[in-house]
Amino acid sequence: MSAEFIGANPAEPVGVTRAGHFATDAQQRHAATFGMWAWLLTELLLFAGLFLTALILRLLHPEAVQAAAGHLKFWIGAANTVVLLCSSLTMSAAIELSRLGWQRMMVGCLLATASLGALFLMLKGYEYHADYEEQMMPFLARRPYALAEQPATRLFVNLYYVATALHALHLFTGIAILLGLTWKASRPGFLQRHQNWIEVYGLYWHFIDLIWIIAFPVLYVVNR
Amino acid sequence: MRTFLALLALLAVNVALGATRPFEQVWLVELGVVAVMAAIIVLVSMEVRREPPLVRLFAGVGFFWAAILFGMTLTDYLAR
Repeated sequence: MSAEFIGANPAEPVGVTRAGHFATDAQQRHAATFGMWAWLLTELLLFAGLFLTALILRLLHPEAVQAAAGHLKFWIGAANTVVLLCSSLTMSAAIELSRLGWQRMMVGCLLATASLGALFLMLKGYEYHADYEEQMMPFLARRPYALAEQPATRLFVNLYYVATALHALHLFTGIAILLGLTWKASRPGFLQRHQNWIEVYGLYWHFIDLIWIIAFPVLYVVNR
Repeated sequence: MRTFLALLALLAVNVALGATRPFEQVWLVELGVVAVMAAIIVLVSMEVRREPPLVRLFAGVGFFWAAILFGMTLTDYLAR
């Protein structure tokens, strides 16, 4: 079934092309925001389970978790949090610029956001490499494990990799989608037809930032 | 920009507490700081405070579910 689209007003620099099943532009915008939030809630519960497991491990095996967390790269984690906070700032700037109709500056902010996301992944990759060099990858069967004499440390270290790799996967996907969106957003007339795409995507980016802001203290800080 | 600076300042507090470990129960303060950072991101950066009631309700319900998950599970582990 083909949707009926109502063209955006060419006199307005910013707007949305309304699908026929929405009564007003505002209704369409609210439905898009609501849909994104519905999905983000499932993501929140996914990560909440992982963070809760980290806290339970801390309660059950405090010494093992502290020994394992001592090998985490605290300062790289802190630097990466700053990187993601900067990326949220550029994303918020892109949203504000999209509302003003300043397309070129908005595209610049979107590219800066994607670049900061890539910087985060590079730092995370360096961290994983350092973990590998320190023999802190217990899931590698053929490589010695630095804390082999404390078996409970494996629980926390494996959880650390699951949680951070899942976050990194979300960020990687987010960067890929953001680059595609940026390409579309650089086309003439984008903001007249799809301005709210920037706002809806911004929710996802801020959410990735939020997950890391919780992950950093739960994994790195409280277990020191 | 004020939101960004506030989040940076709160992060600096947590990093300083994590690096210095000034007292035994500092983790309570650290988790409190994280809760404030999360609230700022949800309400200001994600603009939930400006959304219509249905979106606000849905965003709140997600954190309420997470609170049930944490509350009921930790009640068990902390009471053992």
